[in-house]
Amino acid sequence: MSQENPISSLESLRQQLVLWLESTPAGDFVTAYTWAWPIAESFHFVGLCLLVGTIGLFDLRLLGFARQIPLPQLHRLIPWGIAGFSINAASGSLFMAAAPFQYLYNESFYFKATFLGVAGVNVAVFYLLFYRKIVTLGAGEQAPLPARIIGGVSLLMWIGVMCAGRLLTFYRPSFRFF
Amino acid sequence: MDPVFVWLEQTALSVWVRESPSMFAFPGILTLHTIGMAFLVGLTSAFSLRTLGFAERVPASELLRFVPVVWFGFVLNLVSGVLLLMAYPAKALTNPVFYLKLTTIALALLAVRALGRRVAAASSAPVPVWPKDHVLASLTLAFWVVSVTAGRFLAYTHSRLLASDF
Repeated sequence: MSQENPISSLESLRQQLVLWLESTPAGDFVTAYTWAWPIAESFHFVGLCLLVGTIGLFDLRLLGFARQIPLPQLHRLIPWGIAGFSINAASGSLFMAAAPFQYLYNESFYFKATFLGVAGVNVAVFYLLFYRKIVTLGAGEQAPLPARIIGGVSLLMWIGVMCAGRLLTFYRPSFRFF
Repeated sequence: MDPVFVWLEQTALSVWVRESPSMFAFPGILTLHTIGMAFLVGLTSAFSLRTLGFAERVPASELLRFVPVVWFGFVLNLVSGVLLLMAYPAKALTNPVFYLKLTTIALALLAVRALGRRVAAASSAPVPVWPKDHVLASLTLAFWVVSVTAGRFLAYTHSRLLASDF
């Protein structure tokens, strides 16, 4: 009868994560350098534009827009999307490490993480199962239905990430309770 | 300008955007402004990167098919931007950074439009890229980085929030 309540152990894990992140120098860094946070935010927005501008473009082509563009050629812009994602992973990690409580105790953060997770699985499915068929598609050729669905899911998830990300600030916990 | 700010701040629209507890008011409009930015800045940046020689075998003229999506982003941001400005007119209009943002947006749009016209006018595909196009593409990217950064800095550089004493 000494089983631990899974909810309370998850909660204690979350508290430990907050305390551990608070022990990193990120918090001191953004306090010492007043402009670090706004500059990191600007990078986060530029990265977002790069990501949506290239990956979103590819998704729209998968969905059937501008079918005269050969998909393998358009895919050459994807490294810019990955660069945007990397910029955002780095700046996002700084935000989380500097102010963990306001993210880990925020509903909007979990929505954003869920959308990101689905986008990640979606990308994995695309490259594992469909990429090899797609790279042979030339001008005028329609992507197969599953690939079109993947394009639609990707676009929706990135829009979801933007919505939940932008709304984070309005769901911040009002006080620190541990 | 203060009487104008005060008048704007007291309009029903301004009060609603600023004070409504609904997530569709200020937070929702701000979210639409972010999504519009992603499509407007993102797609025109991809077009600029193509001009600079990345993915150069993508027919540039075919990329013009995305112009309606770019317009969608632009109109979304014009409307949401005006609403955000209505909510806090003094905050933006008394901040030099806001004028930097507007100027660089205008310049980015002019540069990318010139680039788009060059591509549309070229009859042969693939479109030959001229050195002038590289300049226009680089300017587009640079103006976008400045305008996006200026936009983000609006939250940190304002000297006033409201002109009215509520």
